Amino acid sequence: MQVKQLSAVIPGAVNTYCPGCEHGLLLKFIAMALEELGVTEKAIMVGSVGCSTLAFKFLNVDYVQAPHGRAPAIMTGIKEVEPGAIVFAVQGDGDALSIGLQELIHAANRGIPITVFMYNNMVFGMTGGQMAPTTPEGMVTTTTPFGRNTKASGPPINSCELLSCLSGPSYIRRVIIAPKPIQLKDRVMYSSKEANESYRAVVSALKTQMMGGFSYVEFLGTCNVNWKMSITDSKKYAHEVSAKVFPPRLFRDRFGVDSIES
Amino acid sequence: MGAEAIAEAAVDAGLEAYFGYPITPSSEIMENLALLYASHRNDKFKVYFQSASEVESINLLMGAGAAGHIAMTATSGPGLSLMAEGISYAYTSEIPLVIVNVNRGGPGLGNVAPEQSDYLFVTKSLGHGGSKAIVLAPSSIQEAMNQVRMAFELSFKFRIPVIILTDAIIIHMLESVDQDHLLPVSVDSGWSARGRSGGERHLINSIYLEPDEFRKIKVKLEEKWKAIEPLSDCFMCDDAETLFVAYGISARIAMEAATELREKGIRAGVFRPITLNPFPGKMLMDAASNSSRIIAIEMNEGQMVHDVQYWVRRDVELVPFIGGIYPDTEEVIEKCK
Repeated sequence: MQVKQLSAVIPGAVNTYCPGCEHGLLLKFIAMALEELGVTEKAIMVGSVGCSTLAFKFLNVDYVQAPHGRAPAIMTGIKEVEPGAIVFAVQGDGDALSIGLQELIHAANRGIPITVFMYNNMVFGMTGGQMAPTTPEGMVTTTTPFGRNTKASGPPINSCELLSCLSGPSYIRRVIIAPKPIQLKDRVMYSSKEANESYRAVVSALKTQMMGGFSYVEFLGTCNVNWKMSITDSKKYAHEVSAKVFPPRLFRDRFGVDSIES
Repeated sequence: MGAEAIAEAAVDAGLEAYFGYPITPSSEIMENLALLYASHRNDKFKVYFQSASEVESINLLMGAGAAGHIAMTATSGPGLSLMAEGISYAYTSEIPLVIVNVNRGGPGLGNVAPEQSDYLFVTKSLGHGGSKAIVLAPSSIQEAMNQVRMAFELSFKFRIPVIILTDAIIIHMLESVDQDHLLPVSVDSGWSARGRSGGERHLINSIYLEPDEFRKIKVKLEEKWKAIEPLSDCFMCDDAETLFVAYGISARIAMEAATELREKGIRAGVFRPITLNPFPGKMLMDAASNSSRIIAIEMNEGQMVHDVQYWVRRDVELVPFIGGIYPDTEEVIEKCK
């Protein structure tokens, strides 16, 4: 089998994400989409803080590191002076919805042509599995050892629904990136449907930006290490619990990019 | 008016992007820039943007700066506090940006009267991890205009944040100025992130997880810092027995006091730091070598006086004006009797 080197991936880059994490998959989809759309040379990635910080070790595009939560503001600053650039960030749920919610909402409301890929694994991953604004009720984390109490912490924040209240964004979609486990008699197989849908969402989001709109895609992923589950159980949990709390669907597609064949 | 002059100087010197959040007493700078933007005073002035907070402002500046464009904001103490996070990242990432800080009365909400109480903040503790900025302090409107241009140049030459520390007196007073000599700056943006465009990628980063690697980066940043030349001004220093040390508007008061004292037979002079960071310590040592009394005049409870003391290594007297009280020449003269 011949493996094609993606120009948007650093040659020889090694995946240092935990086994079972879908962060690497998302970065691969971004690299593939940049090439499919022919925009690698004018792409600028803005780094967030969390496991997503590591993205600059894999993607071979221009890069600016943002403080925790501020990626949408940095992206806006870049896009204002370099309107021809393709500007995107991978943000986690803690980065985007806890410390950075204000920056996200204002960038979205202004309809700045930038793209936020939000990886939602419902915990703070890099700091060791603390409660995030997306942690479901009852979920045990290191800062909620008896489970998230929604009376104290409120219910999890549904970011796509929240952003849908604004007229600024042009593309809002939630997909599940964790592949669904299929239990066979002697082993477990994984569905490829989630990967295909996630990839198409990445392409659509970047297309929307190229057409002048703000795009936001939430990816329901896993963090089996901090969830303290096996990889297979974490994928099951994503489909059985995460997808109930955060129903995957297309919220908005102003330019109809999802239906355009590439 | 000072605010108008600073805004015009910025546009004439080649400002490309202004990002700001209104805060008294800095808002007139932003309002003047809104008019200059609308009137197309300079085609290079492409972006005028009202942010949602000073946290957003500093990050907008960082984005534009990382893309190699001349970007500026104006704010006041409470806003600068919010920007400290971003300044720390900008310092390590070597992103050029310019902040005009119109010092108001603090701490807390304080008041909107002029003070110089942000001195320690801007010169000693601007963000976590030991980040810093070049700090310029104008004592006249003309100098404020020149320093805006200088700030653009320095921020790109050293790829570092630059702060112009001024106050509500400079911003609101009237003086005649010469605008004709304000030539546009030209800056090198070859290092910036605008897409790799067929070449190697540009990495504007502040994370270095390996201590060995980070040590090298910090040594490099420190070497760069040492190459920045301090600036100062002397007013009748040569034979001064009584030497006032003051910056910004306080230096104007000190000069007035020194002139009156000379008429009374007291040989007084003024040493005025123009760059507050780096502090012109060696220049101060020279200026103070023949003085028997050294008096710091500040619109705060005594902040720069520590730097003065450090360099002259003897007792330094202090004439403080706090709470937003305008410095008073008579009070300074009284102190010298």
